[in-house]
Amino acid sequence: MKFLAALRNILLSVALTSTASLALADTYEAKLPDEINTAPELCKYAPCAEVLPGATSFSERKGQPRYVEGYAEEAGKKKLIGYVMLSTDITDTPAYSGKPVITLIGMDTGGRFVGVKILKHSEPILLLGIPESALTRFNQQYLGQFVGNNIEIGQSRPEENIIGLDAISGATVTVIAQNQVMMTSGTAVARQVGILKPTIREQAKFRETGAKPDWAALVQEGAVRRLIVKPEQVGLERGGEPFIELWFGYLNHPDLGRAILGEGAWRNLMARLHEGEHALFVIRSGGKESFKGSGFVRGGIYDRVQVRQGADSFTFRDLDAVNLYGIEAAGAPAYSESSIFIIRSKAFSGAYPWKFVFLGNRVDRATGARSFANFDVEYWLPDQYLEGGRPEVVKPDAPWVRVWKTRAVEIALFAALLVAVATVYAFREKLTRRATRKNKWPVNAFKYSAWVISIGFVGFGMLAQPSITQVLTWFHALLFHWQWELFLSDPFIFLFWIFIIVTVFVWGRGLFCGWLCPFGSLSELLYKVGGAVGLKRFQFQLPRRWHDRLKWVKYGVFFGLLAVSFFSMGLAEKLAEVEPFKTTFLVGLFNRSWPYTLFAAGLLGLSIFTERPFCKYLCPLGASLAMPSTFRWFGLKRKQECDSCKACAVGCGSQAIDEDGRIDHRECLHCLDCMVLYTDDHACPPLAQERKRRTKAGLPLTPIGPDGYYIPIKLVPVRADAAAKN
Amino acid sequence: MVNPTMPTDPANPPYAQTTSLVRLVAAEAWDHLWPWSHHGFQRQRALQAAGMALALAATLVWVLAAMGQMQVGAVIGWWFGWSVFEVFVRLGSKPYVKDGPWWGRRYRVANAMDMVCYVGFKNLLIGATLFIALKSLGFLIIQG
Repeated sequence: MKFLAALRNILLSVALTSTASLALADTYEAKLPDEINTAPELCKYAPCAEVLPGATSFSERKGQPRYVEGYAEEAGKKKLIGYVMLSTDITDTPAYSGKPVITLIGMDTGGRFVGVKILKHSEPILLLGIPESALTRFNQQYLGQFVGNNIEIGQSRPEENIIGLDAISGATVTVIAQNQVMMTSGTAVARQVGILKPTIREQAKFRETGAKPDWAALVQEGAVRRLIVKPEQVGLERGGEPFIELWFGYLNHPDLGRAILGEGAWRNLMARLHEGEHALFVIRSGGKESFKGSGFVRGGIYDRVQVRQGADSFTFRDLDAVNLYGIEAAGAPAYSESSIFIIRSKAFSGAYPWKFVFLGNRVDRATGARSFANFDVEYWLPDQYLEGGRPEVVKPDAPWVRVWKTRAVEIALFAALLVAVATVYAFREKLTRRATRKNKWPVNAFKYSAWVISIGFVGFGMLAQPSITQVLTWFHALLFHWQWELFLSDPFIFLFWIFIIVTVFVWGRGLFCGWLCPFGSLSELLYKVGGAVGLKRFQFQLPRRWHDRLKWVKYGVFFGLLAVSFFSMGLAEKLAEVEPFKTTFLVGLFNRSWPYTLFAAGLLGLSIFTERPFCKYLCPLGASLAMPSTFRWFGLKRKQECDSCKACAVGCGSQAIDEDGRIDHRECLHCLDCMVLYTDDHACPPLAQERKRRTKAGLPLTPIGPDGYYIPIKLVPVRADAAAKN
Repeated sequence: MVNPTMPTDPANPPYAQTTSLVRLVAAEAWDHLWPWSHHGFQRQRALQAAGMALALAATLVWVLAAMGQMQVGAVIGWWFGWSVFEVFVRLGSKPYVKDGPWWGRRYRVANAMDMVCYVGFKNLLIGATLFIALKSLGFLIIQG
């Protein structure tokens, strides 16, 4: 009975673990209430209490960007214990899918993250393979971290004061985007509520020239700038008129202030400003939307415009706005709304670049749902208006640039590998001529080296296994939100795809599939090792008629995935588990539930006995690359005699040579065995026949020409003078 | 006798022998864009009639797309439908593809898979170019 109970428990746990991983991810494309993006009471629609433990009540959305305050009850009184922010209120940073990971973030009054909850994501990689809990675990690394710390993905670097977070293998781009979301959101709110002190910047020292430029000159030199938002950028019908067209500029500089406002108005304005205060004007010359909005009427805050300098944001209250009565500069456009805004902070400096931001909402025309969107234009006082010119500003590297810099050595090695393999293949004829049917090492030394490096360094090391899911993701990113930065965030996959696209057009898919695909290399290496350790007698090829039928399966898989992805990207991603790449390289054979492990291990096990079964019959990526390979520029060579000779076809591991001796370049994996035979005068029957004939006739064996035949011996008539000498 | 240096038998489109490079490029461009031939039309009347209807429908879809009224599924669906139709038309009208370098003059008879690959790839390039152009000009807004 005990045995039966134990058996039952084991079966139950196996069933639970396997179905758990098959279960749908909780927040993948979760349906969120529309109000979550716009309602003042954010916490009525979002689980704020989960990210701010101890909070029993919450304020309405406040500030710019928006956040809510969380309170606990203490002795019958409300006590502020922290802040909750919805990431999409602050930043629309997209993740790998091209859509943002919508995150609810809790921060205490000391500026420490106390809770993070993913509300919705569209990341395909987190559907299957990498469980969603991995992202949850990643987010937990923020708990207790101070928002002002330098937090980056990767190893900690105490000497540079950088705290490293463990990435999620195989989802690097997602976590880089998530880190940006966490830090941008946290910092924005922390600065607003005073947790982070604003950066104190050196104030500008103006150079006065006495010039009075007109509007056109001001625009040309960048002292006045324009911000246009088109209707389609906010999800409205495309139209001739902009959604809003604004002009703005800095007024503290005497030359500019006088030119724009006129002497009297500028002097009056300056007289109202205290030290460290700055004025800028804004006019609306197009569109019907108000840049003032109605927020300043309700809460005293202008919620549609903002100035950002570095990580500091400057918002305007009703007391920060002054009427603009007219523009003096000749040639200024007609305008229907205007204002002068005053920045009251020493953190702002006219000497450094800043951004004027219009805060809007984007409406999804299909669902009517609104989401946060901002539009900004950079402003930097022109050189000639500053004593000593513009100060030097070191802008922080973009996240993808940091990835390329921190992994520069590995990237260089990987690029060198790709170039080396392409170069070796370009000179393949030199190698195949040195090789013979009995000694293929001149070719195989390079090919086997490429396999080993591909498996160890590229596959297990860099996790750079190209996959059909990347093709589907690009397709969808192209449709919705293409961002080069996202794809550049994974430099290995980025470089690999450049290599694949170029080589498929030049030589066909065989160079990638046959030489550098980590899984393909592993598969064929197992076959070779199997043969070398005595399993050759068990190794087999499928009969030609079955091969010719089954090779179409992979095209079916590819078209099936493509078709499904049009309807549901999520389902397509799940079905893409037909590729065992995630299990083998990204997650690990022993880190997944048994159905996946069994599938990947089964394919690898089968590879010991038959060459590349997955590549030949199932691989959707191979199928997608095989199709353009139909039009590769340079194929492998054949002779007329190949139509009846079977020497190459018999030895073709990928079974790409048909009964007429033709090579199917969609199936060919560029093992080059047929090219070795092509110039081997002991193995290629027409060549061997000619060799024997010449030897018997005492004729010299001339070199083998590019056409694969001995260079013909042409009899030249003996010249008369030479004959006379003899 | 089979020619094993080519994946299928050689073909000889009407313009293959022209000595003018400009004429060759123009003829090939026309070939890429226009799947029909007079000879093929005679043989495939029923298919062509259905094709004309499909062509009109596809045109309507592009007009709708240009007006910003198109959804992803419809765009892709029509692209796919048109491509399938074009494969059938070409197999009857222009059943050849180029072999080797694109700047060369080796043409060969297309089997069904060759034609699927050719039409799929060509239409992907044309579709992507049109799509990116329309989207970047603001004529097309895709709704998820």
